[in-house]
Amino acid sequence: MNLFFLVGIGAAVGFLSGLFGVGGGFLLTPLLIFSGVPSSVAVASVTGQVTAASTSGALSYWRRGGIDLHLAMYLVLSSLIGVVGGVATFAALRAAGQLDLVISLGYLVLLGALGTIMLSEALRALLRRRAGIVVREKLPSQHTWMHGLPLRIRFKRSKLYISVLPVLAIGVVIGFIGALLGVGGGFILVPALVYLLRVPGNVVVGTTLLQVMAMMAATTVLQAVQSQSVDIMLSFCLMLGGTVGAQFGASAGQYLRGEQLRFLLALLVLAVAVRFGATLVLAPTDPFSLAVLGPGGIL
Amino acid sequence: MKAVAPLLAVLLALASIGGARAEGLVSTVSNPNVAITSSFDGETLSLFGNVEPDQGATGVSGPFDIIIVVIGPSVNRVARLKTNRAGLWMNTEQVEFNPFPTYYHVLASNPLDRITDHETLEAERILPDAQTRIAAAPDSPHADRFGAELVRLMTARGLFGIEEQGVKFLSPTAYVAQLTLPADISNGLFITQTYLFRDGRLLAKRGDSFAVNKTGFERYLFTAAHDQPLQYGLVCVLLAIGTGWLGGVIFRR
Repeated sequence: MNLFFLVGIGAAVGFLSGLFGVGGGFLLTPLLIFSGVPSSVAVASVTGQVTAASTSGALSYWRRGGIDLHLAMYLVLSSLIGVVGGVATFAALRAAGQLDLVISLGYLVLLGALGTIMLSEALRALLRRRAGIVVREKLPSQHTWMHGLPLRIRFKRSKLYISVLPVLAIGVVIGFIGALLGVGGGFILVPALVYLLRVPGNVVVGTTLLQVMAMMAATTVLQAVQSQSVDIMLSFCLMLGGTVGAQFGASAGQYLRGEQLRFLLALLVLAVAVRFGATLVLAPTDPFSLAVLGPGGIL
Repeated sequence: MKAVAPLLAVLLALASIGGARAEGLVSTVSNPNVAITSSFDGETLSLFGNVEPDQGATGVSGPFDIIIVVIGPSVNRVARLKTNRAGLWMNTEQVEFNPFPTYYHVLASNPLDRITDHETLEAERILPDAQTRIAAAPDSPHADRFGAELVRLMTARGLFGIEEQGVKFLSPTAYVAQLTLPADISNGLFITQTYLFRDGRLLAKRGDSFAVNKTGFERYLFTAAHDQPLQYGLVCVLLAIGTGWLGGVIFRR
């Protein structure tokens, strides 16, 4: 695979992730798969790139004090259980020849839902702006059933006194999805922390970034051992491109309006989802395929 | 004794005729070590040799035909079939081929069916199909169909092939063949088996080999990924954290 192509794809996705303030794994893994990288190698190698991308972000939030370490610790430890399960499932699916199917289905559902929500939200915001109505985003402050669960813990930095059970459950689910699909899961974790746990806005992104970084680092090591499909050169090219691209994306983002950006990102996410859907529904050009059994497969 | 002497003379004469007609083969490969560097995009090797009289024989008589089979290192392969289940295309059937060559090329001086009969090709396992029959899981009912598809897919990738004009005779006894290895060739030992035919009859066989190896940094990475996967993974994580940190410091996000 061409070195410049890989750095370029990393830079392009890095630009988008800087522009939209998202991790980029959920775009990078599909792009690699669409350009012919075996899905096992794409998923395992992107985890390395996501580790690098979230390290930059987590550091800058750490400097500003925007991380709840206590909450992050619970999330990271529970996500490790999910990661172990995700990597084991990954290996089992690969041996059974169903990895591509599950990855396509997973991305279709995940990106389809995400894209639809983002699109409707961006459209509503655009329409509101056109009508001249200013709505303050406000979180409902009432308690949910989750606050009635046992084993409550006080998270000082987040000003929360909540049961640890939903925290652990969120961690396990994020770890499993992240390891299986090669995504950091920030786009699921942020809404989960905000809407389910009511984590305040000043720590939610920093805490998410730290959790993604630790979780993806663990996934990279486990994938390297279990499936041996982490391609360090591929991963490094993506890291380089992504780190540089994100800077340009972030500065470009300051000159564009938020609603329009979100609208564009929603379209992009939906396009990727549709592409995965097409591979599942349309008849393949060749019904037969071949694969090598056992670990390995790096370029 | 008088009766025996002419018989002995006839036997000796027969033996000497047989000796004069016994052919052997010398052969070699132009490059016994193919190095895969970072800029490797395939390589062309020459396989060449000569038909020689066997020990005690005085000469050879052609015309000869040569078939060269080049076999790459083996891995455990699987061929899968996608079918439509409930509207979704998914792999529903698979047949394993353990172990199956990653590379298999047959080079010949003439069309194979003109060199020898099908029975000989089968007995010597010269055709690619023979490899699938040896390797197919014994209990799979569709091994023949999946084997044929596997050979087709490997051929489409340039990893399998039959080149019926691949061997050229430079003289009545000396031959040369060009073998082009693709860029995505597997590492390991390649065996070249050379068969000498005349009038459809197999006269001699000879095996040679050459090695294909990644070199330098690529080789280091490749062996590390498979032999020390834990360290490899840890290095990858350190690289990621280092790159991320450096990016954060340089650009001050």
